[in-house]
Parts: sequence; structure tokens; C-alpha cells
Amino acid sequence: MKGRVAVTGRGLLCALGDDAAVVHQALAEGKSGLRKVELFETVGLARPVGGEIVGFDAKSYLGKKNMRPLDRTARLVTTAAHLALEDSGWNTEARSGHEIGLVLGTMYGSVRTIAEFDRHAIVEGPSYASPLDFANTVINAAAGQTAIWHGLRGINSTIATGQTSGLRAIAYATGLIESGRSDLLLSGGAEELCFQSFISLERAGRLAGADVEPVPFGMDRGGFLPGEGAGLLMLENAELAARRGARVLAEILGCGVSFDPHRGQNEEQSVRASVCAVRAALSAAGIGPDAIGAISTSASGGPLDELEAKGLAEALGERARVLPVTAIKASLGETLGADGGLQAVIAVETLRKGEQPGIRGLHDLRSGFPFPLAGSKPRPLVSPNLLLYSMGWDGQHCAVVVSRTTES
Amino acid sequence: MTRRVVVTGLGLVTSIGSDVATFWEALLAGRSGIRPVGSFDTKDYSVHIGGEVMDFTPDGVESRIDLTRVGRASQFAIAAATHALKDAGIDPERLDPTRAGVSMGTTSGEPREVETYTDMLLKGDLSAIGPELVTRYPCGSIPASMAAALGFAGPNTMIPTACAAGNYAAANAMEYLRSGAADLMLAGGSDSFSRITYTGFARLGAIAPERCQPFDLNRKGMVPGEGAAVLVLEPADLAERRGARIYAELVGYGLSCDAHHMTASHPEGEGAARAMLSALKDAGLAPGEVDYISAHGTGTPTNDRLETLSIKRVFGEAAPKIPISSAKSMLGHTMGAASAIETAICALAIERGRVPPTINYETKDPDCDLDYVPNHARDHRVNVAMNNAYAFGGNNASLILKRYEGGR
Repeated sequence: MKGRVAVTGRGLLCALGDDAAVVHQALAEGKSGLRKVELFETVGLARPVGGEIVGFDAKSYLGKKNMRPLDRTARLVTTAAHLALEDSGWNTEARSGHEIGLVLGTMYGSVRTIAEFDRHAIVEGPSYASPLDFANTVINAAAGQTAIWHGLRGINSTIATGQTSGLRAIAYATGLIESGRSDLLLSGGAEELCFQSFISLERAGRLAGADVEPVPFGMDRGGFLPGEGAGLLMLENAELAARRGARVLAEILGCGVSFDPHRGQNEEQSVRASVCAVRAALSAAGIGPDAIGAISTSASGGPLDELEAKGLAEALGERARVLPVTAIKASLGETLGADGGLQAVIAVETLRKGEQPGIRGLHDLRSGFPFPLAGSKPRPLVSPNLLLYSMGWDGQHCAVVVSRTTES
Repeated sequence: MTRRVVVTGLGLVTSIGSDVATFWEALLAGRSGIRPVGSFDTKDYSVHIGGEVMDFTPDGVESRIDLTRVGRASQFAIAAATHALKDAGIDPERLDPTRAGVSMGTTSGEPREVETYTDMLLKGDLSAIGPELVTRYPCGSIPASMAAALGFAGPNTMIPTACAAGNYAAANAMEYLRSGAADLMLAGGSDSFSRITYTGFARLGAIAPERCQPFDLNRKGMVPGEGAAVLVLEPADLAERRGARIYAELVGYGLSCDAHHMTASHPEGEGAARAMLSALKDAGLAPGEVDYISAHGTGTPTNDRLETLSIKRVFGEAAPKIPISSAKSMLGHTMGAASAIETAICALAIERGRVPPTINYETKDPDCDLDYVPNHARDHRVNVAMNNAYAFGGNNASLILKRYEGGR
């Protein structure tokens, strides 16, 4: 018998705030978190605009304990974990005697930390390299630092599957709880904004041109602007949550993953991967496309949007015509490995409110666009099951069904 | 009904040989792959040795993608995957691509791409910076490139849990096979030698000046290395049906987190012991049934003492009777590849009734008083082998392999 997976808490940090209800409201109002980057020196960048978390200070959440060993990614994760733990009732006192784990999705860990470590060692000589920073060059550093900070002795894992990392972490954690291997797992994604990834995205031709507002599923689809954030859910064995009388916000009903070995270069193959991931998630959830009430996508304003829409439409069939669609990257930027975690936190709020934010800037749909209800305005859910979707240019696809909990 | 998971193919890229026969012969003969570092100049360092794979080239490796356009760790991984499929007698073109997945581990992904970035940056010419931190560096590109090279469309995962990553990746692959989400998984680890990793360990004072001497009283540290291992994992029923040679069965795994320190183990080996116990429980085995342990055995004073302590905590009176060896005495520490290479060693030990030595062992340490198979390989029938791995971030992972017996 598979264990059921309850969502009992959430923590998020993004360009639009640190509170799920506030961010949900801002998204519904069509606000944008994209602005001129202040976090680092932007000389050399053509268009230094992104979804920065302005003025983020982990100390304001976590107290005055020494923060020096934690880089920005670790601070984002430690803070989001703090918010999710508090939100779920697993505060420091309640945690004693329970093994809570963490599954973090991230594309880079911190490429800034690694690059800075290397640069410093080259400039100053290897004997001046920082041992403290070296510990953070490993890609699982943020998960490790967060475990140390909060005393999380359960399974600690990191998933790095590019832009799908956050959603994949939730899928992985769901599997661990379903199989009974773990009862309590924080999971989601995180990514920091930094010069290193920014300039490389620019050089890879991924970023929106100078005068273009990136609009997911919009007319242009020339590129996106980068963002940052952390979004974590507290996932819990539903029986344990019921026993402790926890407030259950939602339930993860099923997850599906697939891979497109042509990595977006062949439309038919990409669509097939989407169908595969969505069908696996629906099958695990024990529902059909007609039970889906809205979809949350990873569309960003880039060229993959078209494939994502086609793949989802193929997987959902006729149902596509009645579904509200959102794409939070419109307002938060391309948050890479953080996106799935942020999507999930927003989705839980969408289920609570019964209304899903629209897609900022999406005023006109291309003719033949398979989701006629996609647009900039918020829309009511058609039913209380949300399909979260993420795909990346590396070929990864992931689908997760999250549902408003009905007592059982 | 949970499916049983078996190992049916092995693929390796190591400093002592990259086909199974050469590797196994060298390992049993106690041949070391450690030499003066060749890939960069170590004149500014106080140590100069490493376990590099000399003369590696991806030429001749069959692939659907251009292997000159992926990083070194990806090249290793694709070469190892190709060897493993061949060893298993599987033609990738004849598989159902949607049922074939990849699960990999790494410590650093493709750190040489960061080094290239640093070199460009320090030349002061930002326009020379390319897209590689996006296109080649993210560690998720390792399994993604493997799947693209082979045409695999099943679950594709990178678990970058540093030096225990190979075991995490195998555990993840087991879950996909046990649950029926895939019918074949390539599981392993890959890491390339880099100045970043070398600088960090040198700065921590962790690198041995002349040789790696795990468990010896006068051990002076670890030696960074590189390589890859990929295992072909299949459900036992399918493997039997196609008449595959079965090396061993993967019967259990255990994961835990110290939540204690980024780079130092828990002072009583608490997390390591929990991982071993959890793996035994998963496998339904008693400690007394384990008859070989492949140690993490890095050769640092602390690791080897604490690993011995934790083995004694778990195995009690049986501990001195179990042969324990550290392949790192010969290969150095191949980081994210290490536990995958060591899983291959466990599979070979079970299949061939021989256990490899821990070389460079001269003087007994009163704190390390177990049987480390000093200097000479030994005939020893192995029914159950445990593979231990520990990592930065306090991550611990133990994997258990067992001689395969059909039926049940």
C-alpha cells in the first residue's frame, strides 16, 4: 500500500515576496518582480534585468547566528526551510525525536561560489584559497548547510536536472514517502541570481532582446530574463499528519518523469515526452485529464514554450480547452532549478483560493493556441486538482498532480 | 509486489584500466593509478600526486551526439555506459526507449568548464566568455548527454550528493525499477579531475604527499582522482527471461545525514552507522550475514578512524571477521564516481569469489583494528557485500549487494 503524501507547510522567497498569499495576490494582479539587477556588478551584461530578491537578508529570518559559512543559495534554502518548518508546525521543539529530511532541486548549486573560489585561488595562489568556500563548491552544499542549521537528520539529497530540478525534487520526495522510506521531507528548489549564470545565459542566446518583455506563450518567444528564488513544501506521510492534527494544505497525488533524447530539436519527440510524463502523473494520481482543474507551466518567453503548449495539449486532449493556465516565470523570471518549488508553493495557494493567477503580459493568443483560456487575468479552478509541469532545454520533463485535500 | 533488482553489466573508466578484465586484474594485483598530476601545473602546491585517467579519449565510443561538445565527466560517463551495455549484452537500439533510464551521481559535474570561465575572466576580456556554463557545465548534463547519446527516454536523474553520489544514484535507480517506472536503468557516477577540487583538498591539508594508505597508522590523507562507473540494472525477472549474466542482486540501501558539519564526519560515526543499519533493514539482513565491506576508506586520519568505529557499532563482534578493503588506496578518491566504482567492485567480488586489497598498508593503527585485506587480494566467497560512502554535507549512503539466487 502506497503511503499518501500531505503538504503541511510551505516556504518561499522570490522577487515578489516571502509569503505565499502575498505572492499569489501579486501574481494575480499581474505584478512583475523583474527590475534592474543590484545584486552584483553588471558591467558586460547587455540587459541586466532580472527577478532579484532585493535586500534579502537571511539574518532577519534566522537570527544573529554566524551566517558566514552559508553562500546565497544556502541562505535562500535555509530561510525557505525555516519558513516551511514553522508553517507546518515542525518548529524546533516539535522536531526533537523526528527525522526530517530535505530533497533540494537546483540546477547549479552556486556556480558563483565555485567560480569565485577558483578565481581567488588563481589570483592569490592555491594556498590562499578559502577552505570555508571550498566546502560550498559541492553542488549539494545548500542542502547540507540547511540540514546542519536546522538539525535535519533524515534523508538529505539534491536533484540536479536543470530547469526541472525543483519539480523533480518533489517527485523524488513523494516517492520516498509513498514507499515508506521517509515520513517527513522538505522538498522543492532553489537557485541564486549571479553574474556567472547571467552572462552565460546571455552568451547562449537564451535571454530576451533589449526591448522585449518576455511573455510566456506570447508572440515573441525570443527569450527570458533570469530570476532567483527558493520554494519548499513540507511533505509528510498523511497518516502522521493526521495523527499530529496537522493542518493539511494539499496532497501530492502523483508524479511522472520522462526524457526527450532529442532535447527539443524534434517536435514529435518532445510532445511524446510530455505525453509520457503527464500520463504517468495522472495514472499515479488515479485520475484522468477530465479531473484536472488548471495547469501551471514552466513557460518563460523562450522558444521551448511552443513545445510545452503542444505537449500539454496532446496529453490533455479536449480538456485543454477549459483549463486556466499560468506561468509564474512571467513575473519572477527564469528561476531555473527553483521554478518547480515556486510553482508548487503558488499552486497550493491557488488550491486554497480556488483561483489561479494569469500570465502577466499575455494579452493576445496566437491563432490555434491550444489553451484558449490562457491570458493575463486570474481564473477560477475548474476542479481541485492542479497539474504542475516543467520541461528544460536539456530534455527533462516532469509532471506533478497536486490536489486540495478532501478528508478521508 | 516489489520487483527485485539485479546488476547485469559493468562499465568503467579508471586510472588502472577501463575494461572490466584489465581493471579487475589490476585491482587484485594491487596496482596503483596514482601518479604526478599531469593536467595542470602543481608547482604552487605542496602536493603533486593524483589519480588521473591518462590518455582518455572518447574516440571510438558509439554515440548519437558529438562527444567533443560535452565535458570530460560526460565523456567518461558515456564511455562507461557504452561499455556497460556491451558487457550486459544489450543493444541500446533494440530497447524500448521509454523504459530505459539513467541515474547518475557526481561531486563537481564539469568543473573544467568553470576553470575555462575563470581563465577568460582573468584575461580581462568579457567578450571571450562563452555559453559553456549553461551548455556544458550544469551537472544534469551528464545523465542528459548519456541519454541523448543512447536515445534513452526513461527517468533521467542527476543526484549530486558529492562523494556518496554514486550510491545515491544507484538507490534512485533501484526505486524506479522496484516501482516499475523503468525496465532498465544505467546507474553510476562520474567526475573529472580538476584544479578546483585539487586546490580545495590541498587547502584543507587533506592530500597525502606520496601515496594513499587507508587505515594505516601513518596514513597522511586522500589523493584526488577521477573516473566513472556505470552499472546496468534490471528487474530480476526480465534479466532471467533474456538469459542475462547476473553479477549480483541489489538488495537494499540506507541514506542518512549527520547534520553536523560540512566537511567533517560526526565524531562518533553516528550518521554512518544509521545508514548501514537502514540498508540492512531494507535488505532484510542481519549484520552477521555481511561478508565483505567496500570501505569509503579515503586515507584521511579522521575518516578511517570514524568509519572503523561506525562499522564496529553496527557489526559488533562480527566486525573483525569481515574483510574490508579500500579501492581508494589504488585509485585515489574519484569523488562522485567512487561509490559507483566500488559497487562494481562488490559485484565482481560476489561473482568471482575474490576481494581486492588495501594497498600501502604497513603499520597497524590501534584505532583501526579490523581486517583491511592488507596489500594482497584474497580468495573469499562473498554472499553479501556492503558498499559505504560518505560525503561533504554529512551525507551517508550504504548499499548492499547479494549473490543472486533465483526464485523466492
